[in-house]
Amino acid sequence: MKVNTVYLLLFAGLLFFSCNQGAKKGEDGQIVIGASMLSLQSEFVVNVKDAMEAYAREKGIRLIVSDAQRTADKQVQQIEALISQKVDAIILNPCEVEASSPAVEKAKAAGIPLINVNSETTAVPDGFVGSHDEESGEIAMEEIARRLGGKGNIVIMDGYMGQAAQIKRAIGAKKILEKYPGIKVLAEQTAEWDRAKAMSLMENWIQSYGNQLNAVFAHNDEMGMGALQALEQAGLKDKVVVVSIDAIADALQAVKAGRLDATVYQDAKGEGEGAVEMAIKMAKHEPIEKTSVFIPFQLVTRDNVDAFLK
Amino acid sequence: MSSLKANALSAFLIKYGILIAFLVICILLSIATPFFFTSQNILIVLRQVSINGILAIGVTFVIITGGIDLSLGSVLALTGVVAAGFAHPDTYPLIVPIGLALMTGLIIGAANGFIITLGKVAPFIVTLGMMTIARGLALVWSGGRPVTNLSPAFNYIGGGDFLFIPVPILLFLLVIILSGVTLKYTRIGRYIYAVGGNEEAARASGIRVNRVKLFAYILCGLLAGLAGVVLAARINTGQPNAGIAYELDAIAAVVIGGTSLMGGRGSIMGTVIGVLIIGVINNGLDLLNVSSYYQQIVKGVIIIGAVLLDRRGG
Repeated sequence: MKVNTVYLLLFAGLLFFSCNQGAKKGEDGQIVIGASMLSLQSEFVVNVKDAMEAYAREKGIRLIVSDAQRTADKQVQQIEALISQKVDAIILNPCEVEASSPAVEKAKAAGIPLINVNSETTAVPDGFVGSHDEESGEIAMEEIARRLGGKGNIVIMDGYMGQAAQIKRAIGAKKILEKYPGIKVLAEQTAEWDRAKAMSLMENWIQSYGNQLNAVFAHNDEMGMGALQALEQAGLKDKVVVVSIDAIADALQAVKAGRLDATVYQDAKGEGEGAVEMAIKMAKHEPIEKTSVFIPFQLVTRDNVDAFLK
Repeated sequence: MSSLKANALSAFLIKYGILIAFLVICILLSIATPFFFTSQNILIVLRQVSINGILAIGVTFVIITGGIDLSLGSVLALTGVVAAGFAHPDTYPLIVPIGLALMTGLIIGAANGFIITLGKVAPFIVTLGMMTIARGLALVWSGGRPVTNLSPAFNYIGGGDFLFIPVPILLFLLVIILSGVTLKYTRIGRYIYAVGGNEEAARASGIRVNRVKLFAYILCGLLAGLAGVVLAARINTGQPNAGIAYELDAIAAVVIGGTSLMGGRGSIMGTVIGVLIIGVINNGLDLLNVSSYYQQIVKGVIIIGAVLLDRRGG
């Protein structure tokens, strides 16, 4: 038992030091940028991270990436760790609007430039590269309204309740719905960003609203794909419009095949590269023309899907 | 006289309490919405519960031995992405993705079992660790992205019909029958109850306790692998972040079904009813369009209430 404990401690120690080693500052003069990402289990965020890494490699800088796993508290701790490592700049992909704000303030107090990528925090960072998430909800709902001619019954699948993306996409959609009194929301429910849950939810909805349903709006493509599959299995896809957000690879394929009606593209590459570029400039104290770079969402339908398929 | 009646009533409740709870829920839902009690909806509920059902049956074995498995949801995701990785059209025959997923589940189950028995670590801790290990492996294997573009033959397992019955339901039925027979009529089944009831006594009577436990964890992992295949085939994707907290639904079903978390008591039929209760609640609340916030509260209340009814009877 004693021996085991000693080994365990040794092992833990080794693990700790090897991790620390990895997080040490780069060689003399090399710029080090630290990043805390919302969730590396989300395909979109992984795409942003990949673009950041590729761009950092190209520019010969060191990039330390940590995964906040959708927990603002963890994110603040990660930023604290980056501050104590004295990185040259920080990129924050916020988990929450409010709860991630302390991370921004802490970097500011330590005099390290911080850039928000993808979404905003209440606390104002030194730089911002991303988009207004509300816009994606607006674009998606506008497309549904256009296809329905401003009249019909829809259901809405929400993301994980209370998360920034869910709240903002819902706000965007609601804003458009106010313009179209002819569109009635029969039901709104969360499927927690999850394809399997969305499929079950859609199957259940088909039972209660099957014949009256004209469109489905899902807060992300995973859920949109789940809804699509349930509708296809029930033989109802021809009658129901499905629009979702993110333009993940699977959804783009489905748009091309004429299964999914539309998705909304967010430029992961543009956001990732833009953030790293701005971070490098700030680390070098170079002048920056614009500290807020907005990358607009784009509607993807069968007409323009080829431009988005790589 | 009246106490005799009361005794008879409580005996009746002991035996059928959970079944009665299930029927009451079904009747209430049938009254509340005309869409509930239709053949189509019943088939949908059965298809939806198959995955949780297969998981719950696996963990029933573990719980009867007095253990627990918290790694189920992660194993589901891991085996799902492993299967999906070998299920692209025109690559491998169907047996490869299925076999590898089952093998992966089996290995994880065996790892859990060996560490619990030989390492003498509490099942809660081992499987909690395995929960994050398996999730990590799923993310590593898939690069954090869903594994898509699966062959129609593979997707048939999740979405196809065989003799008008959806394949997931048939697989669930098969698992119910095989595991029910194993638990009730075989020596290993009796040993599982014996180990969970009183480990020392079981050991004294010559039962190789470690082997029995190992069997339970391996079977549990294997069934999680099967559930992973069904899930990936149902949603035509291997999702590295699928199945989060699925172990809780599975364990809830087992407990609702009257299996004691202390071990030694429980049945496959009980678990199946537990799975069905959770399934009809999920389905019914969606049909009634109960708000997401209230759904969680209602679900929790019904889970506790069903078990309370069962314990009253007991």
